[in-house]
Amino acid sequence: MSTLLTALRTWLVPFRYGLERWSYTMQRISGVVIALYFVMHVASTGQVVGGPSVWTLPPYEYAKQVWLETKEFLANPLFDAGLVVLAFMIFFHSINGVRLVLAHFGLILKKPTRPEYPYHPGSMSRIQRVIFWVSVALATAALVYSLDVFFKVLQP
Amino acid sequence: MLEEVKFKVLRYDPDKDGKKRFQEFRVPIRKGMTVLQGLLHIKEKIDPTLSIRFSCRMATCGSCGMMINGLPRLACYTLIEELKTRTVVVEPLRNFPIVKDLVTDFEEFFNKHRSVKPYLIRIDTYVQEKSNTMYLQSDEELVRYVQFAYCIKCGLCYAACPVVATDKTFLGPQALAQAYRYYADSRDEAGVDRLKPLGDGSSLLRCHFAASCSQVCPKGVDPALAIQLLRKEVLLRS
Repeated sequence: MSTLLTALRTWLVPFRYGLERWSYTMQRISGVVIALYFVMHVASTGQVVGGPSVWTLPPYEYAKQVWLETKEFLANPLFDAGLVVLAFMIFFHSINGVRLVLAHFGLILKKPTRPEYPYHPGSMSRIQRVIFWVSVALATAALVYSLDVFFKVLQP
Repeated sequence: MLEEVKFKVLRYDPDKDGKKRFQEFRVPIRKGMTVLQGLLHIKEKIDPTLSIRFSCRMATCGSCGMMINGLPRLACYTLIEELKTRTVVVEPLRNFPIVKDLVTDFEEFFNKHRSVKPYLIRIDTYVQEKSNTMYLQSDEELVRYVQFAYCIKCGLCYAACPVVATDKTFLGPQALAQAYRYYADSRDEAGVDRLKPLGDGSSLLRCHFAASCSQVCPKGVDPALAIQLLRKEVLLRS
């Protein structure tokens, strides 16, 4: 099996390895999506339509026109849906990322103990599970809020 | 009449066609029968060409690691009835080169294990080798590392690791857990010298804390915990 297929399988198939593998998969996917968004965001606002010079050189009416054209281009349900998904991913990635940093510095890990059957890994401690689910809950709240902003789902 | 289950076993022989394929066997089972016993039934009664590696049959030697219904497990430690399925799919461990059928090559795995110097390093080497001096340890000092000393080098953690799957320069959970096991041992005097080789980008820091290693460890070693504790030491001290 090629390295690419192996990478996709190990990244995208989190089943049967517990909560931490789900966290790993979601963290990686959200990281890639956010990075791609930043590239597209910078490209769409600064490079694609007109190039960087339109923002700094007169006549400024041209810059205003470019800005309006860009806004018109982006104002469709597909981009709105993308921003809704992005809201979920940014919240999840940032809060879960804080958990990972704390774990990397050993702050929210259990202490090593003598293993006793049935084994419960101390690497995924109770406080870590709580932070993970908080990140999922806040990301879901951000998703619902953005759904309302773009698609008015909560308004009568 | 004994109950039967179907064994789907991945077959691979580099000396024949070198192609991987699944072969099916029907195996009569009894209460308390392990997957290893099922494979030995196949080897003894149906197809003697099936290659398996095993030794102790009691989850101590770590020889019979394989993918059983998609998860890395010890065949001698997995009851057929606990799988709750009529079909048992058996494949060689992932992330290891296959030698033949279910036998995998552990050379790279053991090379990585050796690279972390899995032994006590003392300043007084003469005393260590020539005398029968005991290095006393308190219970608190023992508990700091004893969990990681239960490792039987079965390779299940290595097979479960998503980073090892795509980056062979990553040392893997087993070797890193052993690096911490000796670093945390109060009798070891290597100190930060153990940490320095782990400070590069790939040996340790490539771990993304998927913790699948700890999920599959049959001895409760929890390599993911050892790696995070080791990372803390590398980040703060080396």
